[in-house]
Amino acid sequence: MANGKSKTPPIQRLNYKKGELIVKEGDYGISIYKVIKGKVEVFTGTDNQEVRLALVGPDEIIGEMVFLYGAVEPRTASVRAVEISELEAWHPARLSTEYQQMPQTLKYIIDQILKHLIRMNKVYGSLTTKIEEEKEKESRGEPIDSKRRYYRKEIDRLCEYRPVAFIPGVRLDGLIKDISRGGMAMGISPENVASFSHVPGDEFQVSTTLPNGRKLEMTAKIVTIRKDLDPGSVLLGMAFTNLTEHNQKTLGFFLMP
Amino acid sequence: MSVDPFLYSYVASEETYPDKGVIIEEGSKGFWVYVILEGQAKVTQKAPKGLVIVDTLREGDVFGELVMFEKGEGIRSASVTASGQVRVGILDTERLSSEYDVLSPQLKELISALISRLKDMTRRASALSLQKR
Repeated sequence: MANGKSKTPPIQRLNYKKGELIVKEGDYGISIYKVIKGKVEVFTGTDNQEVRLALVGPDEIIGEMVFLYGAVEPRTASVRAVEISELEAWHPARLSTEYQQMPQTLKYIIDQILKHLIRMNKVYGSLTTKIEEEKEKESRGEPIDSKRRYYRKEIDRLCEYRPVAFIPGVRLDGLIKDISRGGMAMGISPENVASFSHVPGDEFQVSTTLPNGRKLEMTAKIVTIRKDLDPGSVLLGMAFTNLTEHNQKTLGFFLMP
Repeated sequence: MSVDPFLYSYVASEETYPDKGVIIEEGSKGFWVYVILEGQAKVTQKAPKGLVIVDTLREGDVFGELVMFEKGEGIRSASVTASGQVRVGILDTERLSSEYDVLSPQLKELISALISRLKDMTRRASALSLQKR
């Protein structure tokens, strides 16, 4: 092969703006990326059910699964820039040849690592989905252990919230659409999502005043994120993670039919 | 025995473990790479809420190989315990390492990226599997 001795594969420098998609799950891409500057997020799932797999910074590699699959399988995850980022795109042809020509035993061992990784990705994906479905039920007031459904009251109350990992001065606005003993649905502006991490599992402190004038405070965790319902708003399905006895009473009293 | 001849040619020595014998202990240091020649073994990992069975290894499965591709000090990321009597082969890691060393830096970067992803996913999956009720 004429180019067999070339030391470096063709490399392209790419620049991405914050929020730009680099790799799309399901696509048949062949490039492998190395992050040079910035930060990118690896995630799976669609708009309303995204699961972050990793946050990747400089010197790290992404898209390597496709390389080792030989590009016959679609991308198993999406990647998006979470800040202004610069990446290197490697064309995998030469690396692929080198991989195929590795000594047989070495290749056998690395092939096994890849198979483990593919399986682990699947296991992790199915576990996350299962747990989220359970939590979603909980947040909707459908406890898993009991057939009794929590009463879910529709309200439209403004609330303030901030990440539990306290960032001084951060105060975000949201709109509680409905609330039950286990959780709530909260509408927020897409700008909030762009400025602070809002992924399933993120925990926030939330405070609001109920229509009866009582103040309610709790911590709640994101279970689901839906962006498809209304273009101007993101709907968070949240499960309460901490509700003091006093607040439980306040909420219980308010929820009484 | 269903271990491929090319793999068997890398076996430097053999060991036999009784049922529940610990072949590798998580957190300990070690650079040996093994292949199962006969029998089965369980891979377990400590998670915040208990011990998780991550994998079951069978004939021809290689384990302990991750340390070979890392510059680290060879800390084992999981335990491997015999499930019934098991016979393992210890691979000639010097030969494997010298084969690995001559690969291009980019391919090595890629392989190590793969391994850290595998460790990360295993960690996450074992933490989650204990959240199930």
